[in-house]
Amino acid sequence: MANKASRKRIMAIVSASCFLFGVWQLGEGAWLEAKAWLAQQLLQQAWSETLDGSQQVRPWPWADTWPVARMQVKRLQVDQIVLADASGRSMAFGPGHVVGTGQLGSGGNSAISGHRDTHFRFLKQLQTGDRMDLTLKDGKVHGYQVIDASIHHKDETWLLQDTSDEGLTLITCYPFNAIVPGGPMRYVVRAKKVAF
Amino acid sequence: MTTTTITVFPGSGRSRKPRHSTMIVLLSLLLCWQLPQAVAADAAAEMTPMEQDQVQRGSLLLHLASGGVSLDAPMLKTDVKMDVSGMLARVSVHQRFHNISSEWAEGIYVFPLPEDAAVDRMRLRIGERIIEGEIKEKAEARRTYEKAKREGKKASLLRQERPNIFTTAVANIAPGEEVVVEIEYQQNLHYDQERFSIRFPLVVAPRYIPGTPKQSDEIKGFQGSGWAKDTDQVPDASRITPPVLDPAHGKINQVSIQVNLNAGFPLARLESSYHPMDTTQDEQGVHHMTLREGQVPADRDFELTWVPAANNAPQAAMFRENWDDADYSLMMVMPPAKANADAGRIAREVIYVIDTSGSMHGASIDQARAALLLALKRLQPGDRFNVIQFNSNTSALFRGAVQVTPNNIHKAMNYVAGLYAEGGTEMLSALRLALRDDASEGMLRQVVFLTDGSVGNEEKLFNTIQQQLGSSRLFTVGIGSAPNSFFMTRAAQFGRGTFTYIGKVDEVKQKMAELFSKLESPMLTDITIELADGIKADLRPQRIPDLYLGEPLLVALRTEQKPTQMQIKGVLDGKPWSRSIEMEGGADSPGVHLLWARRTIADLMDERARGKPESEVRTAVLDIALTHKLVSKYTSLVAVDKTPVRPMDKDLKQKNIPTNLPKGWSSNQVFGSLPQSATPAPLHLLLGLLGILAGWLARKFEWLLDLLPRRATGS
Repeated sequence: MANKASRKRIMAIVSASCFLFGVWQLGEGAWLEAKAWLAQQLLQQAWSETLDGSQQVRPWPWADTWPVARMQVKRLQVDQIVLADASGRSMAFGPGHVVGTGQLGSGGNSAISGHRDTHFRFLKQLQTGDRMDLTLKDGKVHGYQVIDASIHHKDETWLLQDTSDEGLTLITCYPFNAIVPGGPMRYVVRAKKVAF
Repeated sequence: MTTTTITVFPGSGRSRKPRHSTMIVLLSLLLCWQLPQAVAADAAAEMTPMEQDQVQRGSLLLHLASGGVSLDAPMLKTDVKMDVSGMLARVSVHQRFHNISSEWAEGIYVFPLPEDAAVDRMRLRIGERIIEGEIKEKAEARRTYEKAKREGKKASLLRQERPNIFTTAVANIAPGEEVVVEIEYQQNLHYDQERFSIRFPLVVAPRYIPGTPKQSDEIKGFQGSGWAKDTDQVPDASRITPPVLDPAHGKINQVSIQVNLNAGFPLARLESSYHPMDTTQDEQGVHHMTLREGQVPADRDFELTWVPAANNAPQAAMFRENWDDADYSLMMVMPPAKANADAGRIAREVIYVIDTSGSMHGASIDQARAALLLALKRLQPGDRFNVIQFNSNTSALFRGAVQVTPNNIHKAMNYVAGLYAEGGTEMLSALRLALRDDASEGMLRQVVFLTDGSVGNEEKLFNTIQQQLGSSRLFTVGIGSAPNSFFMTRAAQFGRGTFTYIGKVDEVKQKMAELFSKLESPMLTDITIELADGIKADLRPQRIPDLYLGEPLLVALRTEQKPTQMQIKGVLDGKPWSRSIEMEGGADSPGVHLLWARRTIADLMDERARGKPESEVRTAVLDIALTHKLVSKYTSLVAVDKTPVRPMDKDLKQKNIPTNLPKGWSSNQVFGSLPQSATPAPLHLLLGLLGILAGWLARKFEWLLDLLPRRATGS
């Protein structure tokens, strides 16, 4: 019967460690979501300073990125600050302009990338014809209209290439519900510039 | 727009997938997520477009990181043999092209050589027969080669694309046949900090090609077969960007290296920096070395260094040769080590420029970061500094150079520690920004440029350095496993500074310490050389560079008569300095004339970067290159067999030999992919819920355990 007691103890330890592991993982997940939300609040503040004419306003002292545009989709109540680059570290805080693609609002094809499970979750709800507004540092608002959404492999870098039409290419990971990050597919929304 | 997707996933990736999908199905069931959608999506991810119809049985299909596939390219093996004697090296490179396909093939291989190699020989070996290559004007050599190719004759062509990038083309290799192209060159050793070294690059790293692509209908016949399109800034981009193998395939292009080193003095140290070697020494004191592994893949530079035993470091050396009725000599003279160690330290304004482009991703950015952190620690109060980084864009830490204060240094350290490498290599704007300002009053202004130099627009960059240098001095630090040595050495030369290589993290400390001592010590400037008895010499390099601590003066001379005495004058630490050298004796060494000719060509090409019209430069280079039989920008070596071998009813297929991605590089960061954009948050949340669920289950169904042992004892 001593056998049974020790087995019981082992089960208790297993159960407790499973539980602790669970709490830890929940915390990690929640932290990522919270960071994504919190950062956008700080970014809105940095953005208003940027609009006031400051260059490269760092939203918090140790940030290595800065806001370059404000993106709004009225229908979905989306209001986000776009960051200067789309590195993994920046995208934890907001969608980022993909370095090397066209400057936002200055003609050509500009790509913005965001996380499929935080900022760019709304991409799956975008429909053809949806209106997007991009406010740039100079305060000017550029209007875009969604023309297409499709699924591509991550090696299809032609999507980032310049086109003669001015437009936006929004990129996020696909599928939206995949559990493990790092998959090879991307969900790509194309929008073309429209006049007011 | 076509959407050809080349799937480059290894087999191992596919075998891992089922586990993911099982897990996804399991988890989705557990949490009642939208199961059908998730499974459908996973099925989409499994789709791997294969080009099976293109693939014949038994052929070799290689996926390329640079896009597309390579089918049945000839297998290439390279044997390198270096004979080092004194300050000179004669190197032979044998490239074995083995046609593994069932078709007649033309093999094309783009490969690197040292940027100062004087290539004077190429032979085509078919079985036991040898066909000697001839030097010809570039276009003429190409015509000769193309004609032989059409006529079904075996032929080989060796042309220079950059001083350190060459192309070999071999026509009409029969199915299953092996032909060998034997290339030889002359080179002088590098001597710095009492250490001799010789480098042999093994792979052309993927270059960043700035500019806008030219329309495809322009001069298509001259387009190379690289992965990059010719652009307005790099009109020969397609010739310097050989296809790059997907690293998932492992490595190709095996190389064997053999060195015979006759240093001429006892050695304190002899080591191969990146490739372990076996060494034996014979009775004459010659070291014989071979690679310990026999063969290595061509994916990083080879470097051999040796240090003379104490008190054996040469103070002056001369090598001479009488060739074609003229006297050629190579002189090496060590200036005094240090005039006055305690001379007042001059305050410095140091601008650190760090390349954070995609090619630096991985090991290279680690080395660059470590080097930069050391450099920041070295700054003294009273100095000024700034840090500039560039990839597709250029940005500076401070608006201009700032005072060295603990606070500023702290800021810079944080900035550097957080640097991340991705994007393009738009080097021009970074150079312009770094050279925009002039030195503050009474300060030395030094620009330290850390990069792998993986760009295709070198000449434009040299031109910018030359025009905007002002009173600044530019020091290049070549980072990574396969830096662009042509860019490193020539940028430093135009920048009147010096260059350093760092190939692994272990080297950072020593190499940077050497660089600091050069930055902080007085140098020998305004060097002029005169020969006694009114003998006129054609001296190369024509503009003698400033010498930093530990660097020797190295010049090649051509004279009508044997020179007897040489007077070197300069300014050392602000005071006139001179030295007279008796030019008696000197080792008779074949190949000195080649070194003189190679340096003359380099001088002439520099004139081109300084703005001299190309036609003038071309005429002058052609004259030297044809006389001395050297491969150059305007001359190539071509070898043609006499008898046609390919039956005229059989086609010839052009095959480009893929190269390896340099060691430590990331193909995604270089050839790009769409951004990775998912956080592991859902995974964490799921694992969290699962963990708690498992904990609860373990508690709840503990009584089940009581049932188990009984059954176990029963059986």
